Formats: sequence, C-alpha cells, structure tokens
Amino acid sequence: MTQSDPIFRLEGVTRRYGDLTALDGIDFVAEDNAYIALLGPSGSGKTSLLRVIAGFETPDAGRIWFQGRDITDLPAHERGIGFVFQNFALFPHLTVFENVAFGLRNGAQTLSKAELTDRVRTSIDMVGLAGLEDRNPEQISGGQKQRVALARSLVMQPKLVLLDEPLGALDANLRERMQIELRAIRERLDVTFLHVTGSETEALAMGDKVAVLDAGRIIQYDTPDTIYDGPVVSDVAKFLNRFNLFDGAFKQGVFSGPFGALPVSNARKNNSDTYAIRYDRTQVFDADDTNLPGPALPVRFLASEYLGSSIIFLFETEDQKTVEVDHHLSLGEPRHLTVGERYTLSWDPEQAIVFGKETAR
Amino acid sequence: MTATSHIRQKKTTFRLLAPGVVWMILFLIAPIMMIVYVSFWTQTTFAINSSLTLDSWRNFFASEAYVGALWTTIRLWLIVLTLTFVIGYPAALYVGLMVKSKTISTVLLVLCVIPFWTSFLIRVLAWRPMLGKEGAINIILLKAGIIHTPIEVLLFSELSVIIGMTQIYVVFMVGPIAFMLGRIDHNIIEAARDLGAGFGRIFWKIIFPLSLPGVVVGAIFVSVMVLGEFATSGALSGRKVNLLGNIIVTQVGSLKWAMASVVGVILTILLGIVVAGFLRIVDLKREI
Repeated sequence: MTQSDPIFRLEGVTRRYGDLTALDGIDFVAEDNAYIALLGPSGSGKTSLLRVIAGFETPDAGRIWFQGRDITDLPAHERGIGFVFQNFALFPHLTVFENVAFGLRNGAQTLSKAELTDRVRTSIDMVGLAGLEDRNPEQISGGQKQRVALARSLVMQPKLVLLDEPLGALDANLRERMQIELRAIRERLDVTFLHVTGSETEALAMGDKVAVLDAGRIIQYDTPDTIYDGPVVSDVAKFLNRFNLFDGAFKQGVFSGPFGALPVSNARKNNSDTYAIRYDRTQVFDADDTNLPGPALPVRFLASEYLGSSIIFLFETEDQKTVEVDHHLSLGEPRHLTVGERYTLSWDPEQAIVFGKETAR
Repeated sequence: MTATSHIRQKKTTFRLLAPGVVWMILFLIAPIMMIVYVSFWTQTTFAINSSLTLDSWRNFFASEAYVGALWTTIRLWLIVLTLTFVIGYPAALYVGLMVKSKTISTVLLVLCVIPFWTSFLIRVLAWRPMLGKEGAINIILLKAGIIHTPIEVLLFSELSVIIGMTQIYVVFMVGPIAFMLGRIDHNIIEAARDLGAGFGRIFWKIIFPLSLPGVVVGAIFVSVMVLGEFATSGALSGRKVNLLGNIIVTQVGSLKWAMASVVGVILTILLGIVVAGFLRIVDLKREI
C-alpha cells in the first residue's frame, strides 16, 4: 500500500440534532498510515464527526468507507476502528492488564491464553506502562490513564485510531511529552491516527496533514505548513490564531481598512472582505516614522508577554481592536516600548493575505 | 500549637459524636441488651420473673411450629428477594441506563414511589379485592374465558403473601440499582463497544459488575424489611403463613415476653448474618 491510498472516505456525511446541523455534507479522503489532525473550534462538529466514523452515531445522510468497504450501517463493535476518549473511559473495576485485554477477551476473535498475555504485554510495554499491570485505574495518574486508553485501542491492531482531544485532560508539561510519544508510537505501527483538537498549536505540531473543520464543514485539508502559509479562507486564518485580521472593503483591487487604502494584486475568495498579516510579520515603528515598508496602522501599546523564545506585544487600534506583534528574540533584542504610548505598525504588503468577496482580476 | 489544635479537634469530634452515641445507646444498644436478658427470664402462664433459665430457648427449638416459622421466614425471604431482583433489575436497567434524559428517568423513579403515598396497611389490604375468590383477577380471567372456576390459591395462601411482599418491596431494589446504573459513564460502554464487545458481553463484563453495589444495597433493604415482616403475612395469608414476626406479635399479645424475646434475638442474629454476608460481596465504602 502506498501512502496515498485512502484508509477511509466520507461522502456527504450529514448529522443533525433537531434544528442543529452538526455535520453538513462532509466529503473527506484520509490517506493510510498518516497522522491527521482535525482542528476545529468548540461546536464545529469535530466530536460528532469522530462519533459518526466510530459508529456510535449514524449519519442522517452520506456514506462512510473504511478500507474500501462501506461501513455506514455496520455497528460500532464490528468496525475495528480504535477510539481514545477524552476522559479515557477506562473500566473502573478492572486492572490495567484487564482493561487492555478487554477487547481481546470479549471481541469476535478467540486467542490462546499465551497469545493474549503476549499481545497485552507488548501493548503495555509499547506505551511504557510495564510494571503497572495489576493497578486499578484509580491508582494511576492522568498521563498513565491516557496510555492505558491508548494501549487498550492499539492491542486490537486497528488500522485507524480516532483520538478525541486526547491531550485535553493533561497538564501542559505532559501534553508536550505525549505529543512526541503519540507520533512515535504511530510511526511504529502502520496505523492512521485521526486526532481531534481545538488547539491550533497541537494540530500544526502533530499532524502530517491538518483538516480544519468549521460549522460542520471541512474548510481546508492540507499539510501544516501550507495551511500556515496559505489559509484558504479568513476563518482558517482566525482559527490558526497567528494572524492579525482586519475587516474592510475590497473593491476593484483596492483594500480599504484601518490602515488606509492599499492596492492588492491577489485576493482569495471569501464570504467577507478581510486583510490578514501574520503576528511575526508585523513590525513596530515610532509614531512619526515615515520610513515604513508598507501601510501605516496607528496603535497604542497595551502590554507585552514574554514567551521565552519570543515576545508578544499587544496593541490597540483606534477602533479598539487588539493587534498582536510576535517578535522572535533570535532576530535581536526588541525595542523598548512604553505602555500607553502611540506607535505605528507596518509590514511588507507582499506578505499579507487578502480575502475578498470579489477576487482581483 | 499543634498540640492544642489537636486537643481542640478531639473535643470537637467528641461533641459531634456525643448526641448520636447517646441516642444509639438509649434506643438501640440498651433495648437489644434488654431483649437478650429477658429471653432468659422465667415465664409462667400469667407472670414473668427475672430468675435466669434456658427454658424459653429450649421451648423454641423443641417446637415444630416455631422452628417451622424460622424456615418459612427464610424460604419466603429468599423467594421475595429473588423476585424483587428479577423484576427490579430490568426496570432499573431501563430507568437508570436506557433512558437518556435525566428528567425522564427522575420522573420514572418518582412514579415507582407513588404507591407510598398511601399507608403501608392499605397497600397490603388492597391486594384482597384483587386476589380474592371474587376478586378482580378471577373476574377478569373468568370473563375472558381463560378459567371456568375461580382460582382459590390466589388469596390466603403463601402465594398471596409472596405477591404482596414483592409488589411492596420491589421499589427498594429498583432505586439503588437505578442509581448505580445512572452513574456509569456512557463513554465506558461505548469504549467496550469500540473494542468489539456485543451487548451481552458489555452487560456481563461492564454494566452488571458496576451495578453490583446497588444490587447489594437493594438486597439489604429488601432483606431487612422482609425478614421482619408480619403485617403482609397477617393480612394476606389468612393465618396460614407464620413468620418469625407473626410469632413475636402473638407472643407479645399474650404477654409471653420471654418467648417473644427469644424470637427477637434469633431474628436479630439472622438479620446480622444476612447483612454481613451481603456486605462481603462488595466494598461499599469504596462506592461512597
């Protein structure tokens, strides 16, 4: 199997709850043996999508294909798709060993006792929990529970594992370690992970590919760097949380915003006129500086946030909109800014992305 | 400072405990000790005196009627316990697990409790017009042509006592089980499905073990109430079924305090064994 063969495919999958449409005709093709991050704000339908793929819910319309087979009407326990719950959902009355062994003992396949023990131990070793087999779920930490949940799914040797915000319940430190481990474990196993998250940093850091979900639709599916450099619509840019977005009016190749009117050579089709410039490409100048690389946006300095490798400066525009500037410390010491003082922000217009209801040319 | 706060804490503990301890000594420990003591008193036909004797105990175990009552009590208890479980568990499963809406499941539990709005005795006596020879059930079966002569065994028999007790006590089984089932995280059941387990497997390996504390609490409720019963058997058996409770009532009625005490002690011991036995099944402390 080559990397590009699809492991699963969604055709017009729709799910409604009363008047609310959680999934709105989703078409999606996921390649085999990949780490796919599914990024979406809360309420975008990402958990519904996972539950429909897993078979806990039936779509109102559309088909689901898994390994070349239509599984839309197959019950969850016959699908062979792994699911890792956000709250881990360990069986509280069973030991770690028995939790991991549950699927092998109670599923369709029958294994010899030796083979079962062997597979459970291998799985427990893989997630680094050897020695904790006889503990109860209440006797282990959050990170360990997460690993048990993962081992419990992986022991079934699924080709697809759905992870519902798997790092959401862990503290920041542990989250970063698990990010690396999840990727490493996946690479060893020839399995596709579909990892749902509301965190853009997590999605960009972990996914070989990132799917951005909004209001029940997948609005962009691409590699993290493509998405980062070229969000197709302004909503993607908003979820990435890396862009200053300005509303304005785009007419006949000219964008009028809080920084004045700018000629724009290229615009992306969008449902609103929005101008986007990345935080780290926005630069700070004195209020009366005339030697600017591009447009001039008058602002007032609010505060700064030190992040170790960079500093975030927060400004406020005249219409009370917050604008961020991300200054990487590798580019040299940042200039000193006084809170409440006026400054001018500017950037290279070539690096901006313009979204418009009418596209240029 | 730690020493003084330690002493203060001890004082607080003592003050909080004292009322409960005094209450329990006055109204539980002392009466039980008294019953044990009286069971060894000497009973004559019209009087009782405090010279100690084993006569009442000997009389109890020598009498076929009394020992028979002990076995009848145990037999009826086991039958009613089994029936309340067999009828109550599916009901609890529906209320606690199958009904998705918490509001509806609360409404259903309240419905189960509605019979308690009338007094216990009325609920028992209401079975007479239901089960009698010319009662509702016989009339319906006759009119429907299913039977041609009334079923007489329905009332004033062991069967009517079993029916009455099961109906009255089944809700005490449903409540605790439904409560435990309601606490099960639905993700756990979905996780089991995702791992390839069908409904039967999920029930026996996940749902039933997790509801077991509820079963034990329900069984204790039902056992305690059934073992001490006398009213249902008195009202529905036509005096054909004598439980230990009925014997206590008649002995007290004829002022045979010593024999009543003997039966009381035996009943208390039986209850103690039953409750202790159930508590061995699950560690209830972990659930609270």
